[in-house]
Amino acid sequence: MGTEEGRKESFYPSDEEIEKWMSSAFDMAKDALQSGEVPVGCLLVYDHEVVGKGRNEVNETKNATRHAEMVALDQLLDWCRRGSLDVSSVCERAALYVTVEPCIMCAAALRLLNIPAVVYGCRNERFGGCGSVLDVSSADLPETGTTFKCVSGHRAEEAVEMLKTFYKQENPNAPKTKTRKD
Amino acid sequence: MEPQTKRWKGSVCDADSWVAYPVLSDKQSQDVELIEAFAAPIVDKKETSRLLRELSGLYPLNGLQHIKRVRAVREKGSPHPLEVLVCLVSDAPDLKAVSIDSLLPSGGVRRGGLGEPFVVKVPARPALTRPQFELASKHWPTSFHEDKQVTVALRGELFSPLQKARMHTYMTAALTAARAATELGMEAVGAAVVDPATERIVAVGHDCRGDHPLHHAVMVCIDLVAQSQGGGCYSFDRYPACRFTPPTPDTSQSAAGVAASSQPYICTGYDLYVTREPCVMCAMALVHSRIGRVFYGTSSADGAVGTKYKIHSQKDLNHRFEVYKGVLGKQCEALNGPGSHIKREIDN
Repeated sequence: MGTEEGRKESFYPSDEEIEKWMSSAFDMAKDALQSGEVPVGCLLVYDHEVVGKGRNEVNETKNATRHAEMVALDQLLDWCRRGSLDVSSVCERAALYVTVEPCIMCAAALRLLNIPAVVYGCRNERFGGCGSVLDVSSADLPETGTTFKCVSGHRAEEAVEMLKTFYKQENPNAPKTKTRKD
Repeated sequence: MEPQTKRWKGSVCDADSWVAYPVLSDKQSQDVELIEAFAAPIVDKKETSRLLRELSGLYPLNGLQHIKRVRAVREKGSPHPLEVLVCLVSDAPDLKAVSIDSLLPSGGVRRGGLGEPFVVKVPARPALTRPQFELASKHWPTSFHEDKQVTVALRGELFSPLQKARMHTYMTAALTAARAATELGMEAVGAAVVDPATERIVAVGHDCRGDHPLHHAVMVCIDLVAQSQGGGCYSFDRYPACRFTPPTPDTSQSAAGVAASSQPYICTGYDLYVTREPCVMCAMALVHSRIGRVFYGTSSADGAVGTKYKIHSQKDLNHRFEVYKGVLGKQCEALNGPGSHIKREIDN
């Protein structure tokens, strides 16, 4: 079945693949920014095919867990359902391309679905689950799926700039913070 | 509202069968770390204030502001009533031949009134809880800014019988949902989100992993809360035990200091009751959702609010919350047993 080769392939995506898929992920992130969402975009690729794509949609759904990765994972599950494919055998050979390091929640979700490889742009100093705040990606958590490998740094500065642009604006959905009187 | 520490008399109810204990941060629950220092007896009490002044000039003990420089000698019949910290062992100039003269090099401190030094162990960090303070004080006196709520919580006495009766009701709702999940062949986990200001259950959900591998009970509840606010992105209509209550604007004008105009924002100010400790994904989802407090029944192997991590008190994260465990602990634990209807004989 050549699964060993398949796994290897997903662990070490070629520069060409990274360039191509990350470019789409950045387009998703730009779309998020234009929609007033945190600018993060991602793609799930299985066997040279995009099986899930997502961008942050937290404000739209009033659900703070609707990060790009969670949206894309839902699409992957739908794709498997439509094609009557086994979810775990697809996930085991899929790779995630995302503009920003997955947060702690998303890193755990990726583990629970046994996604073996993640390519990301910049680090996520606020919430990062692949080493920045916690290293969920490689931690010893026997009940939380499998660990995954990360390839980081592709177009990192650009990803950071987009986040900075977003955080400079005020989040219209957050409650107003009281101004200090002293 | 009643002060949280107010004791109630009488009113025996089921809520007496369990105790909720706080899940504190590592800093609050870790052992007392000690470092070695040189202390010396003050043989002439009249010299004390001068010695203190001169010693803190020479050895300021930076970062150890919690340490009291002088201690009284408790043993009766001691030739000297007081002892003073001279310096940390790591600050001493020469460790080979330690004498009071070697510790107090030329000028700065006149050694008059001081006896020969000896090694003591002092707490390296300020005590954050009463148990830490009591342990630390056995080694050397320290100051302690007590958080009374933590002290009461550690005794398991933070919640009044009336509050416990309400918590009992909320966790019972979560347990009922967990049993519904079992009937459906899902994992036996249930959760309820409560608005403590109005005492209203906002959402109840259970594990739906049969449909979607990430639909843990907490994730289901978070989406149900979103639905109660006009958002959300899944449908749990197939599961009657997964439900939400839309906010009722009329009753929100009641007391409790809630501004009637304020719209609920994700889980801000809400409490979560969940039968077992949330996993990493669910715990971080609660951080993102800005949950107020989390109450769980029993620990889980990869749990992230006490067992493997303490994400609710994680340094660097922008939201923290209180966590209590043990609410209906036995009933929650029994959900994990083979055949949840059989009461397990062995605890822990």
